[in-house]
Amino acid sequence: MQVTLKVYRYNPEKDKKPHYDTFTLEADPTERVLDLMERIKGLQDGTLTFRRSCAHGVCGSDAMRINGVNRLACKTLVQDVGKKITVEPILGLPVIKDMIVDMEPFFENYRSVMPYFVNNDPPPNGERLQSPEERERFDDTTKCILCAACTTSCPSFWANGKYVGPSAIVNAHRFIFDSRDQAAKERLEILAGQFGVYRCRTIFNCTLACPREIQITKAIGEIKEAIATGNLD
Amino acid sequence: MQARRIPKILSFESIMWLFMRISGLAMYVFALTGLTIALIMGARTQMDMGTLLRWTFFPIGTHVTSSDILVLEQWINPFWTIMQYLTIVFATMHGTNGLRMVLEDYMDAGWGVHVLRGLLLIIWLFMLLVAFNLIQTTGAV
Ligand code: SF4
Ligand code: FES
Repeated sequence: MQVTLKVYRYNPEKDKKPHYDTFTLEADPTERVLDLMERIKGLQDGTLTFRRSCAHGVCGSDAMRINGVNRLACKTLVQDVGKKITVEPILGLPVIKDMIVDMEPFFENYRSVMPYFVNNDPPPNGERLQSPEERERFDDTTKCILCAACTTSCPSFWANGKYVGPSAIVNAHRFIFDSRDQAAKERLEILAGQFGVYRCRTIFNCTLACPREIQITKAIGEIKEAIATGNLD
Repeated sequence: MQARRIPKILSFESIMWLFMRISGLAMYVFALTGLTIALIMGARTQMDMGTLLRWTFFPIGTHVTSSDILVLEQWINPFWTIMQYLTIVFATMHGTNGLRMVLEDYMDAGWGVHVLRGLLLIIWLFMLLVAFNLIQTTGAV
C-alpha cells in the first residue's frame, strides 16, 4: 500500500524555523514506522536525522511523536497508525535536528533521584539474597528503557522542566522498593520536594505513552503513599 | 520477611497535598451542612434561591436579613460563627495554594517566583483580614 509520511524537519544550520516534508512510499501494513524512515533516509533523503539503535524496543532511542502520540518508531506498525503518518520529535526538550532532541535535561532529572543501588553493608559471600516476592515488588519499574516517552508526554513537565518527571520517578521507585537497597529515605526526601511527585496531577499521559506498559501513575501513587506512611513494603 | 520502614516524611509539598484533599472535601461538608440546616430552618418557603446559595457558601447573618425570615436567633449564633471562620480559612487557603501551584507549574525557581509567592501570601492574609473583620462586625454574636 501507498503511505505518506509527513516529517518534522529542522536543520539549525540552514533553517530559521522548522517545517514539514512529505514523503510518499510503498509499504507493507506490517512494516514499522522505523523501517519507513530508514528507507527514506537510504533512498530519498539522506539528511533525515533520527536516533535508533536496537530496532527492537529495547534501547529506547527512537521515541517520537507518531500521529500525535509518543511511541517507539521501532514498535509501531504501519497498520496501527494508518496510511497518513505524521512524525515529530518528542515535546518539551530542545530539538537539535529533525527527530533528535537534547536529552540532557531529561537525564539530569533522572540523575537527581539517585537511580542506582545503595547498600553500605559489606557484601556477603555470593549474592545479596531476596525472596521472589521481594523481587516482584518492584518488577514493573525495572522494565524502563529510559526512552523519555512518558516524561515528554507530561503537561507538568512541558510547563516546567524542573519537575523530575515520570521517568525519573519510575527509576526511583525501582530502588525505593528494593529490599536490598538502603537509600529509600534520601530518594523519598527528594521526591517530596518542590519538583517531586506532587507536581503530578494524575493526568495518566505517561502511563498511556509507555512502550513497556509500566503502570507509571500507580508507581507515583505508591511513592506518595510511602512518603505519607513511611511504609516501604 | 521483615517490614521495611522509614520515618514519615513531612515536607511542605506533602502537607499541602494532603491539605488540598482534606479542605476540598471539607468545603463540600460545610456547604451541604449550611444548605441542609437552612432548609430545615425554613429557607424552603422564606428564602429565594440566590439568598439560599449565598448562605450555603458563607453562612453569615447579613445574607438572611434581606429575606423573609423574621426570627434570626437560629441563623446568628456561635455555631454559624465557627462555620464562617472554618469556611473562610479553608476556602482561601485552598484557593491560594492552588494559585501557588499554578505559579510554580510555570515558573522556574528564581527570584521572580519568590516575589509572586510573597505577593500571594499578602493577598491571602489581606483576604483573611477583611473576612475576619466582616465576621466580627456583622456575623458574630
Ligand atoms: S517509564 Fe516507560 S515511557 Fe517512561 S522512560 Fe521508561 S520505558 Fe520510557
Ligand atoms: S531503536 Fe531501540 S527502542 Fe527503538
